[in-house]
Amino acid sequence: MKITTRPITLTINGKKQGPLDIAEGMMMIDFLNEYVNLTGSRLGCGQGVCHACVVIEDQPDGSSHETRTCITGAHYFDGKAIRTVEGHATINDKGEEVPSPVQQAFMDHYSFQCGYCTPGFVNAATVFIEGLKRNPIARDELEEAILKAMNNHICRCTGYVRYYEAVRDLVLKTPGLIRETKNG
Amino acid sequence: MAKRRFLPALFLIVVVLLIIVAVLWWRENRSNDNPVQKVSATDEQIARGRYAARAADCAACHTVEGGGLFAGGFPMETPFGTVHGSNITPSADYGIGRWTREDFHRAVREGITPGGRHLYPAMPYNSYYMMSDQDLDDIYAYLMTRPAIDVPTPQNDLPFPFNQRFLMIGWNLLFQNKDPLPAVSSGDSELWVRGRYLTDVMGHCAECHTPRGMFGQMDLAQSLKGGTLGRFKAADITPSGLAERGWTPGDLGQFLATGTAPQGSAFSEMHMVVALSTQYLTKEDMTAMTTYLMGDKPPPPKVAQLTPGGDKGRAQYLNLCAGCHGVSGEGKPNVAPAMAGNATIRQGDATNLIASILDGLPEQAFPGNSNMQSMPGFARKLNDQQMAELVNYTRTTWGGLPGDITAAQIDALREH
Repeated sequence: MKITTRPITLTINGKKQGPLDIAEGMMMIDFLNEYVNLTGSRLGCGQGVCHACVVIEDQPDGSSHETRTCITGAHYFDGKAIRTVEGHATINDKGEEVPSPVQQAFMDHYSFQCGYCTPGFVNAATVFIEGLKRNPIARDELEEAILKAMNNHICRCTGYVRYYEAVRDLVLKTPGLIRETKNG
Repeated sequence: MAKRRFLPALFLIVVVLLIIVAVLWWRENRSNDNPVQKVSATDEQIARGRYAARAADCAACHTVEGGGLFAGGFPMETPFGTVHGSNITPSADYGIGRWTREDFHRAVREGITPGGRHLYPAMPYNSYYMMSDQDLDDIYAYLMTRPAIDVPTPQNDLPFPFNQRFLMIGWNLLFQNKDPLPAVSSGDSELWVRGRYLTDVMGHCAECHTPRGMFGQMDLAQSLKGGTLGRFKAADITPSGLAERGWTPGDLGQFLATGTAPQGSAFSEMHMVVALSTQYLTKEDMTAMTTYLMGDKPPPPKVAQLTPGGDKGRAQYLNLCAGCHGVSGEGKPNVAPAMAGNATIRQGDATNLIASILDGLPEQAFPGNSNMQSMPGFARKLNDQQMAELVNYTRTTWGGLPGDITAAQIDALREH
């Protein structure tokens, strides 16, 4: 059996990767885990249901959205820019790793236990908060918006409420995400 | 002088017309204060009524998700506006609690409720008019022995003049059926005759699967040749149309009983039909229905002449579809249907294929504890050209159809 390969070049967490010859039909999760040693994105169901494998797909217009890597071929990302869970923390002056505000909020709220779903939740919450920076919403729309943004992600440990509360608290304490409205 | 005589005559005509309109309006809007009916029935009759009500798929329109059984509220989108299925529980004030057996027969067969109020033909009386006395009596006995649920039917959302029910008098004069719907297949076996009744009358399949004219009437010259009511097109289910897409009576029976078959899984409104109606048909009735749909001598399923698809389309397929539908289009049980042999891909009109790729499909459960996962929509991930390449790849690779879908056709189906 002959495996057909095609080259792929893309930007991951701001760094150019490739060109790498990758088997046609390989799923992106395998590419991340096996070819570029980014093992933070998790293969859960392998069927696009649990969302543990989502990465952030950044668009040229500055917007971004989640994409499931277990059901999306690596070659789909050729020429595109993505962020994975490894790309959120920053390094401070002392050379220490500083979690992103979303990551810090999840830790502060004990949002996860086993952590398998966490990379997906970090990406989902980051996309959500970046979206609010571009388009703030009214305070009374917040709860529903969080639910809509995070609802597809499955967690079997903490019952979602701690993820939910972490995102709500972070949104409320971050200036500029909530529009001023008459009723609150 | 002529003008003087003309004016009073005109005045008189206007007054008479106004009186007629007022009387018609009053007939449509008066309340029904007939006595509340007390109906008793044997368990056997109630069981027969439940079966007949399922065969007639009453629940589809007369039950809304999250609402009580038969308490109404399902919004049916029509080109004229939204019509809501009514409450048909025995509620005295909101349902059919004051309807007699005769009232019920007339409403189902003629679309006229007690007092003379006209139903819109969203109620398929143009199919139900041939329903047998026995089935009507059984359904009446079944409905009238259900718990009364006192919830009002939501107001229809129809613009003027369509919100004037008396217009249906004219519509009925023009379009009300008096004869059986034309037979779509040939046969004379007992099964075929029973199947014709189940399909054309009880199942009222023609209501969705027949094209409609300007006034919303079924174009009976093209009975079951495919309808265009919603986002998805109801397929051609004449014998030749079914055979063209690879259907056999056996596979069709499996599809109607379980919602899945080698030719694909039921989606959109057909999924509701399987869930609420056809899955409950007895084996014999199912055979009858498929015998009628494909005829006593069913045409052989057409073998698709497959040709390899283009490289660009194949790349799109491997990138976005193969994860669930398989590299070779083999599908995954309880995840996604096979593309190979898929009847939707084999539809010459690619509307359903394109719309499902653009919008995605919700997760669906099927009888027998099986299901299909939700399908993501790809409207944002693929531009018109890329989507046309993908659609054409599936059409040639598995459909045996020309890869002639253009980017403009994709754009026309986008919900801008």
